Amino acid sequence: MQTEATPAQADVSELDLVKRCQAGDSEAFDQLVTRYRTRVFAMIYNMVHNEQDAWDLAQDSFVKAWKSIGRFRGKSSFYTWIYRIVMNVTIDWLRKRQIKAGGAEFDDAIQLKEIDPASKTVPKADPLPHQRMEQTEIRARIDKAIAQLSPEHRAVVLMKEIEEMQYHEIAESLGCSIGTVMSRLFYARKKLQNTLRDVYENV
Amino acid sequence: MKTFEEKWTAWLDGQLSGRELVEFESSLPDLAAAEAEKRDAQKLGTFLKKELGARALTNEEFFSHQLRERIMRETEDRPPPRSTWWTVPRLVWSGATALALFLVTTFVLMTQHNPGEQSEYLTQILNSKVDPAANPNATVSIFEIKNDNKVTVLWTEGLQSLPSDYAAK
Repeated sequence: MQTEATPAQADVSELDLVKRCQAGDSEAFDQLVTRYRTRVFAMIYNMVHNEQDAWDLAQDSFVKAWKSIGRFRGKSSFYTWIYRIVMNVTIDWLRKRQIKAGGAEFDDAIQLKEIDPASKTVPKADPLPHQRMEQTEIRARIDKAIAQLSPEHRAVVLMKEIEEMQYHEIAESLGCSIGTVMSRLFYARKKLQNTLRDVYENV
Repeated sequence: MKTFEEKWTAWLDGQLSGRELVEFESSLPDLAAAEAEKRDAQKLGTFLKKELGARALTNEEFFSHQLRERIMRETEDRPPPRSTWWTVPRLVWSGATALALFLVTTFVLMTQHNPGEQSEYLTQILNSKVDPAANPNATVSIFEIKNDNKVTVLWTEGLQSLPSDYAAK
């Protein structure tokens, strides 16, 4: 996983920074924030599709991390640990928003029944009505497709495809088994392939 | 035992090898179609990475500044941790000390107890405080109940008045 660390910052090991944070050094925490803020923000933004919400949730995640850094034992890497906090905060927020909105269901639960796991996928032959999509339109299509996934499926596919995290890292971040991660990934990909094929086949 | 979904995902991500890979590929009804599906999924991955991976945080420094301020504010708002003297080991030691003191005090009091003292006291009342001139019809009896409690009952009758210093006794 890439970080924003500059060469000078990279000299300071992450574990040292964590230990300093645990001793109450807020400057060390500031350095950790600098390393991860963009990735954390991007991850949350891809989950919630709103800049202001992503900003607030990223702030909440880092505050939570600062408050609970004393409990970090170094059994996993720091970024896996912070991603776990980020995912908890974001998934909770998405769930609460879903309840407030009247419980509109993420439709992966419905669509999954319609997907044959061994189905053969053939690129859509129908030509698009327009030759080239504008960037904003593409983005809107992606956001819409991702919004149809449950928070857990969104998290898995984004961590795998964007963050290029390993299965076990995703499992640690989400607090589930590797098998669950792989299974969620299977369905999330199928769903996105079905909804976005005409986009990525023609871009 | 891995499910089909798990095996498929592992195969798609190039995580299957050796015997597991051969077994999985031979279990597929149409390997060519599966390979096409694999390429399609990989294309999706590349597409998502390209389109979503470049999302930058604008105002990075302001983000950190705001976070620092918030952490500082929340740290100040939080009441300082109450330092308590009553930690668990101290509570245990205090309890043990109090029990030991109680036992020592009880032992000392019991060993200093003189059974003859009470008789002497009662005799003093009978002889010096009951004046036959002032209380001509007075009778004073003592009953000792022979049980484990060793109760002594002082039965007074016909006294005109109690000795003025009785309460003081």
